[in-house]
Amino acid sequence: MFSLQRLSYGAGPEGAKQGPKRGPLRGASRNAIPQPSFRAALDPCLLTLLKSLVATLVGVGIGLAATWLAVERDVRFGLVATGPWTSWPRSAYRDADPYTRASLARTGEIPLSLGEGLSFVARQDETGAALDPRCDYVVGGAIPPARYWTLTVMSPKGALIPNASERYGLTSAEIVRASNGAFEIAVSSRARPGNWLPAPPDASYALALRLYDTPASSSATALAASQMPHLRRGACS
Amino acid sequence: MSALDRLLGALPYAFAVVIVAGLTHILSILAMPYVATRDAFTRIGELAQANRFTLLPQARPGAELAPFSDPAMLMGVCRFNIADGPVRLRADLSNVDGLLAFSFHDRFGATFYGMTDRSSLRGRIDVLLLTQAQLEAVEALDPEDELPQDLRLVTPGREGFVLVRSLIVEQGDADAARKRLATASCAQEAPKR
Repeated sequence: MFSLQRLSYGAGPEGAKQGPKRGPLRGASRNAIPQPSFRAALDPCLLTLLKSLVATLVGVGIGLAATWLAVERDVRFGLVATGPWTSWPRSAYRDADPYTRASLARTGEIPLSLGEGLSFVARQDETGAALDPRCDYVVGGAIPPARYWTLTVMSPKGALIPNASERYGLTSAEIVRASNGAFEIAVSSRARPGNWLPAPPDASYALALRLYDTPASSSATALAASQMPHLRRGACS
Repeated sequence: MSALDRLLGALPYAFAVVIVAGLTHILSILAMPYVATRDAFTRIGELAQANRFTLLPQARPGAELAPFSDPAMLMGVCRFNIADGPVRLRADLSNVDGLLAFSFHDRFGATFYGMTDRSSLRGRIDVLLLTQAQLEAVEALDPEDELPQDLRLVTPGREGFVLVRSLIVEQGDADAARKRLATASCAQEAPKR
């Protein structure tokens, strides 16, 4: 009796609690028309699948966009900067980083190997301001020892820019030097007396300096800014 | 459903996006050298036959071999394929007063050797490009009391190209640079057995 009572007491509240709760739930899934039950069974599954698919596609999109940006912006590691002159001395080799390899494969650029010489690109003057086509620039002063060197005006992407005199660069054998060996090259869109390198009057450009057969190859990372030519802004129009 | 629940529910998907984006980015960067259609080797393949020395036209705006190439350098190229035998590159430098630069590239454009005419031996450049197996075959035929007269380079892969650059020392002096370049030759050796 006692135990029965306890049993009934124990079952009573439980039954009272569960009964009404389970009832409607089961009733809903059992009595409902097939469609809601179909949706209830498939929706979470389908939704998860759809969400995963969208997540994958978005991921692939972002990944490819990052790759495109990296190649388009020419992202590379191993940059060596000496004053305004920048260089990637290891970019020609197999041990170059994957970003360099990807950029080079895309542009087709063939970097100079250290056995041939060193190449530098300047996109800014020595104060760090971007080269302005409305301004004149003067390159001169020191230069690391090299059998020959050349200074070339190129587009920021490395293409030659047409000009009337069909002169795109100067070689070390062409320039006029002072009696002490010092030199100055005027980079300007207007003709200059002395060493003149024509620059485009209306398009942005970069300067490429190449040292051929230079002992500096073995110490490319240790070149001091004082060993490299200065790149000074002159008059602006 | 609270905002927190929704956020927690979206977390695995955000995580998936980041991981998939990272993987795609890394894989596509690594795949670029294999899928690029305008790389140096392809460009050279359009201009030069295999195992022959080809003089390239002087760089002009809009007609350059590759970006950031020096317009003061006249270029010649030897696209090599050593599958059927070693390839020999020669240049005569006996009366060179300008500058000749040689760079040896694999199929992906990476340099495996670079030098200038300074490295010449008795006024000549004589380079034999070969595989490890071909090198062993060539060495077996070497006379024992003599040092080899050529530079032997084992190439990474069967295909690649050698770029020979000749400096146009002064503008208008392209003929002299062309003459220096024209002493270069490139030919496949008959396979020795």
